[in-house]
Amino acid sequence: MPRLRLGHWVDNAVSFLRDHLAWLFDFVTAVVQHMYDGVNAVLSAPQPLLLAGILAVLALWLRGLTAGVLAFVGFALIDSVQQWDPATQTLSLVLVATVITVVLAVPLGVWAGRNRTVSAVLRPVLDVMQTMPAFVYLIPGIFFFGLGVVPGVIATIIFAMAPGVRMTELGIRQVDGELVEAAEAFGTTSRDILLRVQLPLALPTIMAGINQVIMLALSMVVIAGMVGAGGLGASVFTAISQVNVGLGFEGGIAVVILAMYLDRMTGALGNQVSPLGRRALARADALRGARIRSYRPNTAVAMAGVLVLALVAAGLGVFGGSGGGPQVAAGKNVGRGKAVNLGYIPWDEGIASTYLWKEALEERGYTVNARTYDVGALYTGMASGAIDFETDSWLPTTHAQYWKQYGKDLTDLGSWYGPTSLEISVPSYVKDVKSLADLRGKASEFGGRIIGIEPGAGEMNLLRTKVLPAYGLDKEYQLTTGSTAGMLAQLERSYAKREPVAVVLWSPHWAYSKYQLTKLQDPQGAFGAGDRIHTLAAKEFPKKDPAVAGWLRNFHMDEKDLTGLEAAIQDAGQGNEQQGVRDWLKQHPGFVDRMAPVGSTKG
Amino acid sequence: MSSLQADHLYKVFGRRPLDAVEALQRGADRAALRDKGSTAAVIDASFTVEAGEIFVIMGLSGSGKSTLLRMLNGLLEPTCGRVLFGGQDLTALAPQELRRVRSHQISMVFQHFALFPHRSVLENAAYGLQVQGVPRDERLRRATEALHLVGLEGWEKSWPDELSGGMQQRVGLARALATDAELLLMDESFSALDPLIRRDMQDQLLELQRSLHKTIVFITHDLNEAMRLGDRIAVMRDGRIVQLGSAEQILVEPANDYVASFVQDVDRSRVLTAASAMVPPHRPDAADCGCESVTPHTTLAELLAVTARVPHPVAVRDDADKLLGVVPRQRVLTLLGDHDGPQVPCDARPMEKEATGA
Repeated sequence: MPRLRLGHWVDNAVSFLRDHLAWLFDFVTAVVQHMYDGVNAVLSAPQPLLLAGILAVLALWLRGLTAGVLAFVGFALIDSVQQWDPATQTLSLVLVATVITVVLAVPLGVWAGRNRTVSAVLRPVLDVMQTMPAFVYLIPGIFFFGLGVVPGVIATIIFAMAPGVRMTELGIRQVDGELVEAAEAFGTTSRDILLRVQLPLALPTIMAGINQVIMLALSMVVIAGMVGAGGLGASVFTAISQVNVGLGFEGGIAVVILAMYLDRMTGALGNQVSPLGRRALARADALRGARIRSYRPNTAVAMAGVLVLALVAAGLGVFGGSGGGPQVAAGKNVGRGKAVNLGYIPWDEGIASTYLWKEALEERGYTVNARTYDVGALYTGMASGAIDFETDSWLPTTHAQYWKQYGKDLTDLGSWYGPTSLEISVPSYVKDVKSLADLRGKASEFGGRIIGIEPGAGEMNLLRTKVLPAYGLDKEYQLTTGSTAGMLAQLERSYAKREPVAVVLWSPHWAYSKYQLTKLQDPQGAFGAGDRIHTLAAKEFPKKDPAVAGWLRNFHMDEKDLTGLEAAIQDAGQGNEQQGVRDWLKQHPGFVDRMAPVGSTKG
Repeated sequence: MSSLQADHLYKVFGRRPLDAVEALQRGADRAALRDKGSTAAVIDASFTVEAGEIFVIMGLSGSGKSTLLRMLNGLLEPTCGRVLFGGQDLTALAPQELRRVRSHQISMVFQHFALFPHRSVLENAAYGLQVQGVPRDERLRRATEALHLVGLEGWEKSWPDELSGGMQQRVGLARALATDAELLLMDESFSALDPLIRRDMQDQLLELQRSLHKTIVFITHDLNEAMRLGDRIAVMRDGRIVQLGSAEQILVEPANDYVASFVQDVDRSRVLTAASAMVPPHRPDAADCGCESVTPHTTLAELLAVTARVPHPVAVRDDADKLLGVVPRQRVLTLLGDHDGPQVPCDARPMEKEATGA
């Protein structure tokens, strides 16, 4: 078979689109971003419990007393596990994505429902949209739409579009042909047939489709979190990257509560808006009679309730919202509010150095946004200029692939820590294995596996091409590919059962402080010299902000400082990283002044 | 009032319909066309429906009767031929004008009622008027009147699915009547109903027709229904109209074996009337005896009882008491038995001398 250069053509198409349709993508980005900002501003304005109350009244109106109480309890639970802000961000994202999806999907579905050709053309397109793995278009999405909420919304729309279109088409087609014929026989115009007969009768099916759209949108939240869309996705993504099962569950349960709320509410709304559904409800109510558990206020009462709570929320909003942030000492205000965007991979040294810089730059008067990203998204975002700098690039080996691809659009601001080392490690209770050579002949003991990490990581490439062949391990062991989180989970599991396990690791890594591990020696030096941790910035950043670039070039930390900082952040707990940094800085007076000397524009 | 005229209508589905029509006009048959991928649903249908007449199109499923009906109001466009209604060629109208004709002049009643489940009975009945653009108050008033007409007063606020089949079809009828259209197309409208209800509905339709004088084209596959309702009947088979005439003509003079086998099961005693059974009076004073007499519309079923009581041929008189003819007993039996041949004499025991039919 000749090699079909499909991927190459796609690459070219993506570049072409980026170069020639930038105005369109910028327009879409602006629209979506503004929609999201607007919705999020409304949702995050009131006190959490007040908004929970408003949502509970809606549930009371649509579903009855039980649903109202459960909704309030659910949202209170989200607030009490400190996932409220991520949850409102996620809700905003889902609402924006759903509205856009429905606005596109319903007309398309109607069109497909009335025209066989359109239906036949749409079907494979929808198949592609629904089944193409999200990451395949998520990364190119960053080229087009930058990082943050917008590519998350776009990916969600692509993923959630199919059921909206299909259910609308199905609903239209399901309408009894004799009814349409009857309408025609009485001289109804095509438009009125749609509005008076087809749409009202298809409405329950269309609402079921919208319900599915919302559910799929919520299931994309975690993936959207990896490209900086924030919200519960970022919570879950951060938690699983650090194998923090408990935190992951807290984020996950918040997603579930949102999903159940939206599912039940859209289902009930479907009954309220469609004439047939209203009739069924009225009949059910008549049969059941009035009971407290199924009490539902009428629309006017419910709207009044929502309005009162919203007014209270608005009133409180006036008095809330006092400005926070660190006090900027006079004479040290270099940034004067200038915005700096930091990205980081949720690895310990990345979190530590990022929040250290966030604190330092805020003390210098900058406005700093720090967001967590997947590695691929981080590099793409930086190459496009959406992220100014990040402090956690392992070069020349681990991130070699990314540097090769994006290096031309980046500036290397030098390394601040090193050397690091790459290694294979085994638990210390595996007594007779001290060096890579010792692994030979013990494949059965280790299950024939070396537990690896992401297939794109430089260390994995190094293992496959150099290290394993050098020690003759490539025939004997299978190097599994997966994720860092998966590798750590396997290590945890084996460690608890005291089974032999060989994992791909690197130093510094918190695993060495949590478990007793033996770094296997590499007498042949197959791993080569260790990586150093570099600070990389967008190509234009040194020109844009020479002062910060200068400070970054001179940044250095030794192992004692880094592990101490990481420990302080661990102590402060998830969500309080910056407080951890402040605690640590209190014990290290003058550190910020050394990092960011005022008046200095060296470099 | 205007008459409806179908003028050499053809409807061919599938590929190259016009070529198929040409082939049919040259004498090709349906099976040959099917091999070429086209289906001739209606072939060369011509008839005129007079104003105020109930015209029944009767045929088995697949005979093309529903297709023919849908060409009459333009739901289907004829492949060839014209439909004239009140002198206006419907096939030549622009879509917009055709919709106007449909909303004002032609209404339709469907087999499975086709009521809108999301509208109340009253709103359903008012649908045609809504399409016409009649203001809300007036259309609800007229819809209420139409519901009264079909005997559904008090059900206005109900929903279609709360009604029995017969009542639903009355709503369908009310919806069709409310628009004041002159032409009513009824597509197997009573076929989905129970036999007893169906009979009620037939009676009601005949009752309404006596006062409304609509022009009605009624489709059915039930010959008894056709005979009961139709002033004239067109029998269709394989897309062609094989016979067109009154119920009695079709019963007494079936055009071919197909029609003959069709009418075999019909209860002739309820269709045939004294008019078709009577012969010229054999004596000029036949009417003077003061015995029981019948009208030309009396069915054979009723006539039988009378012939049993009256010792001589029964006199047939019109409304003005004028003698039209007489019905000999033997003539009644001949017609019921579907036997029209001459009497066979019996040598052994000559029958009592009695007048026989010619």
